Amino acid sequence: METLDLFLPQVWFAILALFLFLYVMLDGFDLGVGILSLTASTEERRGILMTSLSNVWDANETWLVLMGGALFGAFPLAYATILSALYIPILTMVFGFIFRAVAFEFREHANRKIFWNYAFGVGSFLASLGQGFALGGVLGGIEVDELGHFTGGTWDWLSPQSVLVALTLIQGYVLIGSTYLVLKTEGSLQATHRKTARIAAVTTLVGAVAITISTPIFVQYARQRLFDPPFIYIFAAIPLIGIFLIWRLWVSLYRERDVAPFVLTILIFLLTFVGLALVVFPFIIPTNITIYQAAASQSSLVFMLIFIGVLIPIMLFYNIYQYVVFRGKVTSSYYGE
Amino acid sequence: MEFLQDTLVLSRMQFALTAIFHMLWPILTTGMAIYLVIVEGMWLRTRNPDYYHHARFWAKLYVLNFGIGVASGVPMEFQFGTNWGPFSEAVGDFFGSILGFEASMAFMLEAGFLGIMLFGWERVPPIMHYLATIMVAFGANLSTFWILTANSWMQTPAGGEVVDGKFVVSDYFQAIFNPFMINSVAHTFLATLETSLFVIGGISAWYLLRGRHPQFFNRSLKIALAATIAVAPLQIYVGHLNGEQVYERQPTKLAAMEAQWETIPAGQTAPWSVLALPNVAAERNDWELSIPNGLGYILELKPTLSKPVLGLKEWQPEDRPAMVGLVYYAFRVMVGVGFFFAALMGVTVIQWLRGKLSPEEIGQQRLLLWSWMFAGPLGYLAVESGWVVRCVGRQPWVVYGQIRTADAVSNVPPGNVVGSLTLFILVYSLLFVAALYFGSRIIRKGPNLDRPVPGAIRDLGTNPAEHSPDSRPAEAK
Repeated sequence: METLDLFLPQVWFAILALFLFLYVMLDGFDLGVGILSLTASTEERRGILMTSLSNVWDANETWLVLMGGALFGAFPLAYATILSALYIPILTMVFGFIFRAVAFEFREHANRKIFWNYAFGVGSFLASLGQGFALGGVLGGIEVDELGHFTGGTWDWLSPQSVLVALTLIQGYVLIGSTYLVLKTEGSLQATHRKTARIAAVTTLVGAVAITISTPIFVQYARQRLFDPPFIYIFAAIPLIGIFLIWRLWVSLYRERDVAPFVLTILIFLLTFVGLALVVFPFIIPTNITIYQAAASQSSLVFMLIFIGVLIPIMLFYNIYQYVVFRGKVTSSYYGE
Repeated sequence: MEFLQDTLVLSRMQFALTAIFHMLWPILTTGMAIYLVIVEGMWLRTRNPDYYHHARFWAKLYVLNFGIGVASGVPMEFQFGTNWGPFSEAVGDFFGSILGFEASMAFMLEAGFLGIMLFGWERVPPIMHYLATIMVAFGANLSTFWILTANSWMQTPAGGEVVDGKFVVSDYFQAIFNPFMINSVAHTFLATLETSLFVIGGISAWYLLRGRHPQFFNRSLKIALAATIAVAPLQIYVGHLNGEQVYERQPTKLAAMEAQWETIPAGQTAPWSVLALPNVAAERNDWELSIPNGLGYILELKPTLSKPVLGLKEWQPEDRPAMVGLVYYAFRVMVGVGFFFAALMGVTVIQWLRGKLSPEEIGQQRLLLWSWMFAGPLGYLAVESGWVVRCVGRQPWVVYGQIRTADAVSNVPPGNVVGSLTLFILVYSLLFVAALYFGSRIIRKGPNLDRPVPGAIRDLGTNPAEHSPDSRPAEAK
């Protein structure tokens, strides 16, 4: 293969990984806060939770829209096959998003807020659940014919392994949501979410251990990859680093730090992400279609790279600016315009 | 209930439903964003707090619409993969790239600055806030540009050809600047702006009829009116250009728009049918009312045609749009609304010139104000009708002349689509009712004119009429 034929799909794989990671990190805490809002003891507390997200959730969700558009353009075959195979998880996520998004607008104007409270919390939960099953479904492998078209059944994505992945992802989102709230709130609300962060840290760890053990047992292609040198050394290191990070997270929560728990959670997410990417690469539809087979034409990849590549630093810049503008603790439960 | 077993029909229904519903919200947000740029700019220039309150009040309706627009827009993107997998695979090279551009250039810009525009009034300097408002408006309208580029390309695919069922692009710029692109973008841009202006005008008329905040809403009505003086006639002209292009490049669509079954040869005069009852089974109109020579004037501004207008019978039934009556009437609704808007603008301008629109007197112009209220929702009707003409008229092709809709649908079990379609119907109905309910709540509540102006010295005086503009440079404030 020519160098460009190898290089361009790899670049686009990396760009998509970046978009997906930014999405999982940023909308991850949105969704986590959303799920946690179901546990809020008072309307005021729920209001503060929503205020902490009101100015950023929309930009955060856009990373997924961007990931979708870029996947569609760079790997059209993967876009078509994966989304067709994951019809039910994707629709679950979509309906979750719908309820989450409109809850912000409608709750503010409603006299009786209870319906929109549930729309927000349950919507966040459904979106996370759909994403977890989608991830689990992709990792479990998608049945395709020699052209890469989906040939499996409606429920192929559902397996014990994907249930485990979905539950763990939800715990992960609750964890990052909790540490985000530790960062953004103060007083008794902050104390509450130090507690939820500790619980979520434990449940996420349990889930991660279970996935680490069960994946090589149930997923054949992953077994080959994991025990294949030099990967075995990397994969041996990942759980060790992970345990170290969780220990530091635990300590930082115990010492009542504001920023460190959130940063450490991001590092845990990053570590997991690197691990998953190494298991999957160079497949984009495990275990049959590689990024090279699913890639759009070379000219298309170059064309997109010119337009979107230049924009990535600009997008990062104004998104960071937005966080700078809204830095500091959230004190008011009023999130109206 | 045979269609319940047909994935193609169900997927089309689902796409149509989500598209029609989604479109309702960005129509207003893209147009109103420009209005917000205007009023905030006026505030920065004159420092009249009235303009600031305009920016704040209309932004409330803006954000309500934006939230639902996002909520209903995300499903559209995913549907290309879930329900139209073969389409995504066949056209991903170009169409997918364009959706990526829309997300990265347009939507991200809008979403990234929206927070500052809505919540940043006290956190950033006024000029930075204004920049955020401009970026939101720019991003929103750039979305129109990219989405319409993608859709125009589906109407007049250019820049490559279909090889083995896959569209291979040879020239991206030719594909972007496809024959329909410029006129389609212009037509939709003007449509969103015109709809928003008449919504703002209609809501203002509602307040004026009730005598609530006459000064305030007189101003918003006049800003909207001033903008429509340019927009309404221009839209009719651009619409005409679009029609000419359909005549040239999409003969099956033109025939459906005019319910023209028989070909009219070149050199003949052609009547324009105003109303008709198209009968698809019998391939004729059961009943028709037409204006002699009308079609010639509409298409070429002269009574006789220089090129033939092809009738639907020129094509096999499977190669022409099936829903002729729908396309025919949707077109007439769109055109009717466009002319009504221009007429209402004209009458209102005359009254303005006669001095009848002063805040004291405008309350007496009841018929005029009622007409503006009536016009408020009509823009939506026109835009939706336009989309029906555009996309139903393109059938049976998803990419005109290249890829059939029937070949573009995912092979998912019909039961899945029945389930998702049912959920979409239920959820979207709920959202629609809730949006009307909460939207009308915001309107009934009215603007908060006591809201302190950011950065202002608090003892400037409470009466806005006595307010003298601050002429110091921005840094000095």
